[in-house]
Amino acid sequence: MVARPVDDRDLHAYVDGCLDPQRRIEVEACLAEDPASAERVNAYRSQIDQLHELFDDVLGENATPVMDDLQNRLSGRMAGNDNYRRGWLRSPFARMAAAVVLLLAGGTGGWVLRDPEPTTVEQQQPPLQSFAQEAVQAHTFYASDNRFAVEMGGEDRGALDSWLSERLGRRIFGPDLSSAGFRLIGGRSLPTATGAGAQYMYENDGKRRLTLFVGTPKAGQEAAFSFVQKGDVSMFYWVEGSIAYALIGRLDRDQLMNITQTVYRELKIRNVPPAPPPAAPPPPEAAKQAPAAQPVGDIKRKDM
Amino acid sequence: MSRFGTELEVQIASLRRYARALLRDKNDADDLVQESLARALSRADRFKPGTNLRAWLFTIMHNVHVNQVRQKISRPDEVPVEEHEMRLITPARQETSLELRDMSRALAELPAEQRQVLLLVALEGLKYDEVATVLQIPIGTVMSRLSRAREAVRIKLSNEGGVPLRRVK
Repeated sequence: MVARPVDDRDLHAYVDGCLDPQRRIEVEACLAEDPASAERVNAYRSQIDQLHELFDDVLGENATPVMDDLQNRLSGRMAGNDNYRRGWLRSPFARMAAAVVLLLAGGTGGWVLRDPEPTTVEQQQPPLQSFAQEAVQAHTFYASDNRFAVEMGGEDRGALDSWLSERLGRRIFGPDLSSAGFRLIGGRSLPTATGAGAQYMYENDGKRRLTLFVGTPKAGQEAAFSFVQKGDVSMFYWVEGSIAYALIGRLDRDQLMNITQTVYRELKIRNVPPAPPPAAPPPPEAAKQAPAAQPVGDIKRKDM
Repeated sequence: MSRFGTELEVQIASLRRYARALLRDKNDADDLVQESLARALSRADRFKPGTNLRAWLFTIMHNVHVNQVRQKISRPDEVPVEEHEMRLITPARQETSLELRDMSRALAELPAEQRQVLLLVALEGLKYDEVATVLQIPIGTVMSRLSRAREAVRIKLSNEGGVPLRRVK
């Protein structure tokens, strides 16, 4: 073993996700044989969770009018800013609640329209709505960025999936959406209120971008499909097992719903433990949209 | 909303959370954020597009905070020490679990310089070099403060009735 010994600094960098993949593997190997260090790592991670539990409520509180005013003036003054207007994200929870909420009952059929309840939502701020808000913000922020749209390219999907799985602490993957005309350009990891999140970014031939945001909300959420639309941006979000997903793009609801169903089926098929079983009987629609070869060129990398 | 507007909104929410975690008192935290945004506004022209907005904003807030603390020390009558202590050990939420209450207390008992580093890294997710920029200290100092803070909290929590580990691999 020629690896440099694991020191205190490595443990912190490991907890904070700052290690390169090679070093991360070395640290994990060391942790497997060093229960005391592994316990420290667990304790430090636990501290992160607890800090979020203590203080994330602040994110959902209304800013003071003075802050709102300063934010608007700041946004108007600062270079790099373009046509800022008071946006719908300002009161995301009210907006979410006011949006039409659709429930997808039992797989495919049964869309049910539910009345919004805008009154109490601001105080409650369920974790899933904070997840949805983060997903939209991440989409808005990165999908429009041509240079740094992704942190890691999608040419090696295995490497991308395993890196993001590592960051989330769950096994995740970017589904193949080539049947819908979207190819994976890459992904990034980013912080959410409940730990690390992952964003997969897709693009079609018309350069239109779609993101799949994956996070781990607090337990107890269930798998309702919710739809939110503002302007030309649409989002479906839902929870499957302990993982939350949000699919976002400048598409209309029907287009996005079709892609959402593709994503959902792929997740269902591939998430059957312990490994993706080719023997699992997919529904006929899924069979039609079986993963096709993924195009590889035209990939943007942060480090290029 | 423009991309910049969105990022600004995200970062300001982050500033508010950090201020609350640092000061605990809502009014104090709001004051700190407002004063920091006002300062940012007065220096807006100096921000270079494409550079790190988060580090820029947190640096401004850190400087404002340092000034506020300095002013309070020079005018001790305005902030009775006992009241300040009370605030620091008051949990952020009344209904918090014992586990969170212990965490809250452990955080409050950290030296301020360690608390800042721990919150910036563990709560706000800043990279180590960003923390070094924001607090204007060498990165080695960031690492040593982070290490001491995490160990102090860990030992304190393990002494207070064994906090169950939440993540078991």
